[in-house]
Amino acid sequence: MFTFADYFYKIMMKLENKIKKMVYTDASMIITEACVKAGSDVFIGYPITPSNRFYQYGTQRFPAFLAGPDEITVMQWMAGFSAAGKFPVTATAFPGLALMAEGLNMAYAMELPMLLILTQRLGPSTGSATTGAQGDLMFLNGLISGKYPIPVFSHSDFEDAWDMTYEAIKTAMKFRTPTVLLTSKELVMTNKSFDLNKLKEIKPVEKFSTEVIEPFEPYKTGDELVPAYIPLGDKKYQVRINASTHNNAGLIKKNDPESMANTRRLKEKFEKRIDEYTFYDYDKEQGAKKLIVTYGISADASRDAVVKLREEGEKVSLLIVKTLLPVPGVILDIINDYENIIFVEENISGIYKEIIFGINENSKVSSVNKIGNLISPSEIIKAVRS
Amino acid sequence: MTKNNILTKVKMPFCQGCGHGIIVRSIAKALEQSGYGQKDTIIVSDIGCSGLVDPLFDTHSIHGLHGRAPALGVGVSLGLDNPDKKVIVIQGDGGVTIGLQHVLEAARRNIDITLVVMNNLLYGMTGGQISGLSTQKFKEQRNFEIDVPPFDIVKLAHASGAAYSARATSIKNYTDVMKEAIEVNGFSIVEFSSLCTSYAFKKLDQLQEVIEPPEVYRNERIPVKVHQRDTRSLLDNLDVIEKQFESKIDTRIGVVVAGSAGGGVQSAAKMLATAGMLSGLHATMKGEYPVTVGTGFSVAEVILSKSYVNYTGLEKPDVVIIVSEDGMNKIKAKLNGDSILIIDSDLKTDEFPDAIYLDFNKKAGKRGAALAALAYWLNKYGKLDVDSLKKAVSSHKYSDILLRAIDAGVEI
Repeated sequence: MFTFADYFYKIMMKLENKIKKMVYTDASMIITEACVKAGSDVFIGYPITPSNRFYQYGTQRFPAFLAGPDEITVMQWMAGFSAAGKFPVTATAFPGLALMAEGLNMAYAMELPMLLILTQRLGPSTGSATTGAQGDLMFLNGLISGKYPIPVFSHSDFEDAWDMTYEAIKTAMKFRTPTVLLTSKELVMTNKSFDLNKLKEIKPVEKFSTEVIEPFEPYKTGDELVPAYIPLGDKKYQVRINASTHNNAGLIKKNDPESMANTRRLKEKFEKRIDEYTFYDYDKEQGAKKLIVTYGISADASRDAVVKLREEGEKVSLLIVKTLLPVPGVILDIINDYENIIFVEENISGIYKEIIFGINENSKVSSVNKIGNLISPSEIIKAVRS
Repeated sequence: MTKNNILTKVKMPFCQGCGHGIIVRSIAKALEQSGYGQKDTIIVSDIGCSGLVDPLFDTHSIHGLHGRAPALGVGVSLGLDNPDKKVIVIQGDGGVTIGLQHVLEAARRNIDITLVVMNNLLYGMTGGQISGLSTQKFKEQRNFEIDVPPFDIVKLAHASGAAYSARATSIKNYTDVMKEAIEVNGFSIVEFSSLCTSYAFKKLDQLQEVIEPPEVYRNERIPVKVHQRDTRSLLDNLDVIEKQFESKIDTRIGVVVAGSAGGGVQSAAKMLATAGMLSGLHATMKGEYPVTVGTGFSVAEVILSKSYVNYTGLEKPDVVIIVSEDGMNKIKAKLNGDSILIIDSDLKTDEFPDAIYLDFNKKAGKRGAALAALAYWLNKYGKLDVDSLKKAVSSHKYSDILLRAIDAGVEI
């Protein structure tokens, strides 16, 4: 029998189908799409599990695609494109990152914008290519010789994947720097139902926004501490790009005040303007003395754990960090408000915890760690209760 | 065209008598004679004595890492994509062997750059050690590695596809050879013999006794460029899945499907997730298989839920479907008593006496067994309408075969 309730239900169903645009997809596709929408020019890749969906989608979606013969070459080609004014993207995993390390230092010192997507998998070494992990943050923290900060962003769900990709590209352009989108196997190879209408519109990032200060010198900067980005081959300005210690003219000059100021500026530009690229989700509960701190793939289990804990009367707050490096001061401010801080990370000893608190024992700090499998909500609940 | 303006007035930084200065002047002359101006030229420099050239050229310049300059130059050339610009990469014999792959790759693609190799037969900056381009005769004088022949970088580049490869050994024709190389449309390489007065010889005639003879090779081919194309949004291309069916799942349900590679496990799981979405549910799906994707186990996990799914792990699956021995071996240890177990009859075992054993492989074939077992479960337990699964497979290119597998599962 057809009732009014049935009729009403059908209307609601139709309305819901109209409001939502549900698709079956994965974060690799969402990130790829965000890269292209934000104005990336080329994907340069060498395939590696679990970053291979980026490579596959890259061949289909980027305005240009290049298949490098190895990761060292990939990073050099990227630097060349970037020096020529084109924004390059690549995706790799730890073994590829290790090969790119010297090239990334080069691009960093040259101040060349680019995006590196790093999909974490179980290490050490080749480890397990198809098993997820959160093991590469410490390597990134020390990647640039002298511990100069390289911005590292993390996403915790599909919407984040879209937003943080855009922010990573924006930061790369704004600060003339390589940036890293740190992800992991389970984050980018798990398919989910997803409402596409949740994605905000992305417009291409303005590439050459920093104004030239006349007379032009390739590494001269104003208050923003970022030199104007003029590609090689420019008709008006002579561009000199240099990875060795260099002066404002872009020529090798060691033990020279101007060159040393240039070197120090590589750190200062990120510190001075950190508010422009600080992202996190802070779910604060009034009166809570316990704080769960997490990022990336472990955020989902933490969200579930917090719901359950609160249902059972436990007061607990949740901090999901999305700007992992350099560590923004506001993250420390939040952490310092709590008596008990529980770090949740899928690695053997707590890498982010060590970055924040060091290796010294601290009675305020504990962690939930695991390798080879996702950390589950019940494991987090147990740790928070104890 | 303005003449004689490629070089700055900066004094050559090389040792007295060193051949590098002559090569630098030859490059500059060749550029000027070929009509390239300051802003048309990009010098890409390596590390070592040859890496000191940036301030000598009144052009654009980029100074990178040891051995990587040819790859950096490839990126610049492809990124500029401008035939009016000339990318000149300069490296020494040390740089060539560090980044040999980059030279071969640039030659293979015939990328429009000119690579200058200043071969002084040794590592000049670290004390005169031999390199991979040190000649036999040079090494014989030092009685060192005489049984190891050098690379012939000119022949290697030619064999890899370089449009132009040459070795120049007399300063009389350095500029002419360089000019030939610059005017090539594609990858050109010139190995110049260079005198190292600090660690090798004081005089040119001593150098001439140990170097390889001059040679020139050509390949008639056009350079490879980056193909720019218009692409369409991948997300907009996805099927939008609207609710058309009802489900009886009140909260959430977790399903594991275990079988073998090539057995349609991942595809069946995707169809179940889609069926869930067609029934208004949230769905997640993830696969696990060995790196050799064509053999061994294949396991998929699906969660269907009324509410949004955060954590996608499955600690206690509600339903486990096993259709092959590979699948059984993979997940046997993880099974606990709470799940509904649906297993192919061929795998019958005393370990799981409460499992449901049926002939999925016999009735639906190896490739259809996983989907048939899912259809059986949906039909028997009624969590989703079987028609939602049929709808999910309807747009698949082998939908006929898949629909037959679903029917076989329902009949079982």
